[in-house]
Amino acid sequence: MYAFNYHRPDSVSAAAAILAKGGDAKLLAGGQTLIPAMKLRLASPGEIIDLGRVSELTGISTEGKVLVIGAMTPHAMVAGSPAVKSAVPALAELAHMIGDPAVRARGTIGGSIANNDPAADYPAACLGLGATIVTNKQEIAADAFFKGIFETALGDGEIITKVKFPAPEKAAYAKFPNPASRFALVGVFIAKTGSGVRVAVTGAGSNGVFRVPALEAALAKSFTPEAIAGVKVGSDGLNSDIHADAAYRAHLIGVMAKRAVAAAH
Amino acid sequence: MSIGEPLPRPDGRDKVTGRARYAADQEVAGLLHAALVGAPTPSGTVTAIDGREALATAGVARVLTAADMPRFGPVAPPSAVSKLPMQDGTIRHEGQPVAIVLAETLEAAECGAGLVRLTIEPAPFRPQGGGEVAVPPGIYGPVTFTKGDPDAAFLAAEHQHIAEYRQPSRHHNPMEPSATIAVWEGENLTLYDSVQHGYSVQAIVAAALNIRPERVRVISPHTGGGFGAKGFVWPHEILTAAAARVARRPVKLALSRAQMYANVGFQPNMVHRMALGAGRNGRLTAIKHEVEHVTALSDDFVEMATAASRGTYASPAIFTAQKVERANVNMPTAMRAPWEGPGLWGLESAIDELAHAVGQDPLDFRLANYAETDPATGKPWSSKKLREAYEEGARLFGWRERAGRPKRDGPWTLGFGMATCSMGAFRFPSQAQVRIKADGSVTVETGCHDIGTGTLTIFPQIAADVLGLPPDKVELIMGDTRLPQGGPTYGSSSTMGVGASVLRAAENARELLGRLANLPAGEVVMKDGRIGRRGGLGAGVPIGDALRTAGVGEVVGKGRFTLPGDAPFNADGEGTPHTIRTFGAVFIEVGVDCELGLLRLRRAVGSYSAGRVINPRTARAQMTGGIIWGWGMAAMEASPYEKKLGRWLSKNLAGVAIPVNADIAGDIQIHFVDEFDPHASPLGAKGIGELGATGVAAAVASAVFDATGKRIRELPITPGKLV
Repeated sequence: MYAFNYHRPDSVSAAAAILAKGGDAKLLAGGQTLIPAMKLRLASPGEIIDLGRVSELTGISTEGKVLVIGAMTPHAMVAGSPAVKSAVPALAELAHMIGDPAVRARGTIGGSIANNDPAADYPAACLGLGATIVTNKQEIAADAFFKGIFETALGDGEIITKVKFPAPEKAAYAKFPNPASRFALVGVFIAKTGSGVRVAVTGAGSNGVFRVPALEAALAKSFTPEAIAGVKVGSDGLNSDIHADAAYRAHLIGVMAKRAVAAAH
Repeated sequence: MSIGEPLPRPDGRDKVTGRARYAADQEVAGLLHAALVGAPTPSGTVTAIDGREALATAGVARVLTAADMPRFGPVAPPSAVSKLPMQDGTIRHEGQPVAIVLAETLEAAECGAGLVRLTIEPAPFRPQGGGEVAVPPGIYGPVTFTKGDPDAAFLAAEHQHIAEYRQPSRHHNPMEPSATIAVWEGENLTLYDSVQHGYSVQAIVAAALNIRPERVRVISPHTGGGFGAKGFVWPHEILTAAAARVARRPVKLALSRAQMYANVGFQPNMVHRMALGAGRNGRLTAIKHEVEHVTALSDDFVEMATAASRGTYASPAIFTAQKVERANVNMPTAMRAPWEGPGLWGLESAIDELAHAVGQDPLDFRLANYAETDPATGKPWSSKKLREAYEEGARLFGWRERAGRPKRDGPWTLGFGMATCSMGAFRFPSQAQVRIKADGSVTVETGCHDIGTGTLTIFPQIAADVLGLPPDKVELIMGDTRLPQGGPTYGSSSTMGVGASVLRAAENARELLGRLANLPAGEVVMKDGRIGRRGGLGAGVPIGDALRTAGVGEVVGKGRFTLPGDAPFNADGEGTPHTIRTFGAVFIEVGVDCELGLLRLRRAVGSYSAGRVINPRTARAQMTGGIIWGWGMAAMEASPYEKKLGRWLSKNLAGVAIPVNADIAGDIQIHFVDEFDPHASPLGAKGIGELGATGVAAAVASAVFDATGKRIRELPITPGKLV
């Protein structure tokens, strides 16, 4: 119970203007992380900028072979979108696996990747598909965007406006959810494109989402589960916590990767 | 005849619609909300408490510290601890209350609690797993027991099995966190409390506050699950009463889920050191079982898990021993299926391994070592039909035919396991009265509690059976210490004790009414609201007429259930010619996804020898719940502990997984052997609330071994242990 100033701008530029004033401001998207963090006093911003009325941030479109999703688009809309199901069906399936119906109704893609929770699902899709994160200031490749747990390449005053996903030849996301929270204990996103194969892992790394070059190389030669059956994923750099130890997470990466390859379409 | 009928719960509708009122739901005008400030360290001394910032918060009325509290009188069990908090600056465990913020709203109290500044002189501490190991005093039973020459018998045994079986500390997590409202009127205190035994609260709060017990009234119409966490009296109940006295206002304290972890106990971690010896024929020659677990620094709680090894199998030589490890943790306490619940995890796992080593079917091995009499004392059983329970359970499960069953189902490898179930019999004295009025209404009154089990269903059922009325015509009044003193709702004891006192009260009311109607004692029968003579002609007279003719407004029948020597407690029929226990067998089918390490319950059959069943519907729910409780122990539950900080790591339900519907297969089958135990209770019934939870973990581990060839000796059986 503490006071903060609440803002509800109706455009990105208006939001950016408030953000530029500083004053310990936080952007509020779906509020699935920020609100609980405020309740727990892990965050106590002086200014809350609610993006809920910025209509230009919500929506899904296709530009040629690129799927474009507005930052404030809720997970449920991505999960149900014919455009997403057609261009990148694995992304619709991933969105459908996030949290529960209430979370999917409120939570947004922009909020998820700006937060970069090490067990969130969207960072795996962005990294796995080689997405581009578009902000009010610049375009950032996914490979450069995720900087470690809860850290991104976003600078001061920067607002994610949309995410561009190039449509792959094939892709799939295989997730082993924590039975209680539904967060990924290990989630593996695999995409096959004209230029190769990308494998991104969430939930497991102690430094957040990461790619697995050994699996990518093996799958580039042969995109089959058998091709990676012999690839050993080490437990170095993986999380050990009350939910699972690093060795089990390493084991799961191998299993989920095989399942993702088998399911890719 | 209503005993034995599968009546539905009369309280079900109120509970699912939210109409049932629990302790924190009581409306008391002008109350202050309390929020506890817990010690952030497991050891040290609070040297200063600065409440100024908290007091400056709108709505905060008081910040109470040890200096504001009265000096409490000495307390002993059923107080959970002997050293009450907020009497000095000493910190004995993390989370121990050191201050209480009182405020006009809950929000203000919680905000204020976050603003109380503590100055602490830290001190070294002993964490769980790094404490001092000691032999505790024998408060709860024999800490060591020897029959025959167990060492010599073990060394001489043809087949020997030695292993350690471990289980983690885990918390009860009832659906309703504990809550207390304290209201003083002059020297009289009323507590609305979430409890398993109101009279314990009455006695301990009175002792702590140095007032006479009759000045304290405890009201508890419903308790939202206890599982042992609300059995003893915990410091927060005393602190709430003291805070209300100091503040001169009613005070409500509702513990948060997080505060439940350090304020109301837990089942301690345990290691079972088992050594079993058997002859070439598979007959047991030696059973050795040593248990060690954590306890608080201030008090020795002893989880008597070794009881299982003294009461389950025939063996000429038995040795059991209990040890504790004293550490800076909060006080552990009993949890649903104490003693045999953990004890049978050790014993039944070892028995299963030995049966395989001997080369016998695990069920045949158990039948070969069947205890015809109490193995520890040689006394006869009050009743035991375990052989029938084994065979009927095996038939329902298809145990003998399991070799012919498929071992695969898609990614799942299937496994089959079984174990023996057993519980001792805790009995407590109880009183009840049955009131019959001229308008024909009947009330049963007893100071027992509804903790979500079948008490609200079966007590009216018992009275209705005697009085020849439909059970819905009998009103039950419980949960108030002003009522005749009912027994507690723990130790699976309520049906035996409280149920028997209700039976006697109803019989007494019938006799009294019969006397008014000039009917000879012992020949009075009641049916359909009328009273008459057994074998007599005609339909008798209506109850109301009998009372009106005699010019009496009501009759009040009184009933008591007493123990030998008028003892306040009796375990397993001690001091009587018989040993009282309940028995059963649980058969489990699991599926293991060997690639992911996932473990799923596919099927369970529980078959029990547990005396007369009063209501097969509520009894079935109890046993089903017990098996699910056991599954939680087997496959899910652990309260992780942070050794460096000396505190529970995950004080919530996100880091502590407990079974939910999605974890449980639909196919749980329950069977009771037809049985009447005249020695346990005049009802013929025995306790069933905890029996179903025993044996399950060992049966699951046995099924996992059958599926994977892996022997898991440390609970819970989580995926990392199966890949």
